[in-house]
Amino acid sequence: MNMRSKAVKAMGIVAIGSVVALTLAGCSRGGDAGGGDDGKGGDSGAPAASPGITDDAITLGVTTPLSGATAGPGNCTVAGLVAYFGQAGPIEFGDGKTREVTVEAFDDAYDPQKALSNFQQNQSNVFAFTSGLGTPTNRAYREAAIEEEVPQALVMTGDPLFSDRTESPWQLGFVPIYQNEGAAFGELLASSEEDHKVAILFQNDDYGKGYVEGFKSAIEGADNIEVVKELSYEATDTAVDAQLTELAASGADVFFNAMSITPLAIASIEKARELSWTPSWFLPSNTSSPGAILTPAAANAEDGFYSVSFAKAPQSPAFAEDEDVKGFLAALEEFSGDYTTKPDFPHCMWSYMVGATLEEAFKGMTEPTRENFMKSLTDISDFTAPLMLEGTSIDTTKDGQPAVASVVVQRFNGKGYENAESFD
Amino acid sequence: MPKMKQLWSNRWVRLGVAALVVLILVLAPWNLDPATNQALARVGVFAVAVLGLNVIMGYTGQVSLGQIFFLGLGAYVTAYGVNEDWNIALVFLLAVVIPGIAGYVVALAAARLGGLAIAMVTIALPIIGVPLAKRLSDVTGGSQGTSARFTSAPDWFGADLDDIWQYYIVLAIAAAVFVLVHNLVRGKFGRALAIVKENEAVASSMGISPYRYKVMAFTIAAMIGGVSGFLYMVVVQYTSPETLAFHHSINLLASMVIGGAGSIAGSLLGGAYYVLVPNVTNEIDPTLTALIQGVILLVVLFVLPGGIASLPRVIRRLFQKKDGGGDRTAGRPTTATGTLKTH
Repeated sequence: MNMRSKAVKAMGIVAIGSVVALTLAGCSRGGDAGGGDDGKGGDSGAPAASPGITDDAITLGVTTPLSGATAGPGNCTVAGLVAYFGQAGPIEFGDGKTREVTVEAFDDAYDPQKALSNFQQNQSNVFAFTSGLGTPTNRAYREAAIEEEVPQALVMTGDPLFSDRTESPWQLGFVPIYQNEGAAFGELLASSEEDHKVAILFQNDDYGKGYVEGFKSAIEGADNIEVVKELSYEATDTAVDAQLTELAASGADVFFNAMSITPLAIASIEKARELSWTPSWFLPSNTSSPGAILTPAAANAEDGFYSVSFAKAPQSPAFAEDEDVKGFLAALEEFSGDYTTKPDFPHCMWSYMVGATLEEAFKGMTEPTRENFMKSLTDISDFTAPLMLEGTSIDTTKDGQPAVASVVVQRFNGKGYENAESFD
Repeated sequence: MPKMKQLWSNRWVRLGVAALVVLILVLAPWNLDPATNQALARVGVFAVAVLGLNVIMGYTGQVSLGQIFFLGLGAYVTAYGVNEDWNIALVFLLAVVIPGIAGYVVALAAARLGGLAIAMVTIALPIIGVPLAKRLSDVTGGSQGTSARFTSAPDWFGADLDDIWQYYIVLAIAAAVFVLVHNLVRGKFGRALAIVKENEAVASSMGISPYRYKVMAFTIAAMIGGVSGFLYMVVVQYTSPETLAFHHSINLLASMVIGGAGSIAGSLLGGAYYVLVPNVTNEIDPTLTALIQGVILLVVLFVLPGGIASLPRVIRRLFQKKDGGGDRTAGRPTTATGTLKTH
């Protein structure tokens, strides 16, 4: 009897469970793609608004490293953006409506899988993803963004793929590609009157190689420049002392250090001093910060530290009284307390410019849709965003080029950077 | 409580519950939004990765800090095979076998070492793996990574149901791996592993070669890592050297401990922790994710040293204490051996 009643009970449980499950299944979502259809079918005649935008608000998403090794620059990619829209207040769009801009940041810790996760979890309430830092992380959700037709606009990666309009119709890179920067160094050096011997240390990946490629193409045919030694290191290396010792022995008077790792960049300046090697330095834009690299390494400005930039450096005395810089610092202080209020990395300035470029795109939008946003975004030329250096501008109309393709070579003066007209 | 136990011992009840679980898992994605399905699929991916780690660490007691390398290797093999247009069944096979061979070769050397030395050898794997993946750019796509999209839902299934399609692939493969490992650790092999974990000298005296079993466990862990790599590509469809960075290994390890070392259910919970906690912390405060995750880790370890999987056991023990019952099994250690005995 006992056996039987148990079996009955068991059957009862299964039966009830099945009923519950089938009921749940009853409300199947069928062919609905979900997410993307939110808000469709509104006013008759008017174009349906995309997710993340209403008549009085728009939400932007940023997936970027806010923790881990790249948290410094990562926090900056949000701080500048938040500061810009904080000081700008509600923005009048091209369709005549005024919208409040909200920035939602998501930490991906530089993990591609998490970046994709952030995209998937939030794409139904974010109008566009923007400003996020990192090549692998941006690449991880690039194809998903194309498939879902979600803008991935003005992202911080020097990967040329993001600026290829056919391959990446819903993307646009913001910062110059690596080759642009390397070429700017090469041109300055080639224009020098004197003979120079160059030693190169590059990170053994697309980053380092891109710099060297741009640099070499620019010095091609210049008789006064000779590359005497070229060594590489791995991004995972913890020291480059051996390479520096070897490069110092080459007798080069110019050192091109195509490096993206902050601690290594500091260590190489210190090691060169230890070896009494005092070349002129060429540093890429993201490892040339006075506050985060040159000052901690006690770099001697007289050696000549050159870098490229398209942003005014707030630390530089030359820009201390600049209206843009003052406004930027005040906005950062007032609105970006959650991320960082100190522009130690250029990404802070860059994301501020991203904000200005987005505002420009918003002004050109005639419909509250993602398609219309992309159309408006890729139609900006000769726009000088706040903080941009003279000689640089934003141009989103050229296929194969990021929003900012032009850079200016600058020289460290002990506190900040000044434009360098010539190499000396 | 005893009634529940009695009920549970009935074969039909167990079958019924199993059928119900399967039914819910199969029907669930149709009622959830795509974002949730995608998150669930990712949980499956990392649950398998944690399960692999559990085989070598939880069940065999060997510290392995290289599990992420096998996941990455499996992902790269999958990406390469898909981009070369190989048959997908072959790609899956290779994604399991190649990491398995790599694991076997490493284990031959590593298993001779004991304790911390084996941990050091396994640390080397992701540390070598990352620059290697960058160097071999013809195969791996270098530091920009490589994507392989092969899991878009076929037309007969519904072209815009990618999330459900991927969920089903992950569910099927992950379920198979979980059942296999469940049977493995419950059988003769599992008992041998438990003895190797507890005392190698005793194992030797019983005719169980600790070395052989460690190598086998390591190889199996690597193969499961390869499976999770394949699943990673099913869901993420992109891999880069960043995928196999060393710190992810530590995260996997933390997930295993939080879920419950030496526990099948713990692996699933570990996978859920790995995937869902970053989402939750992002909702709380995106700038404090690392800190909050650290706090969660500490709290779980203080409250439940055996991991979340030990929660029912802890609750049962609390009840028994209240009843003043003299059940001697209550104080059992939560080791693999203990778990094995209770079932």
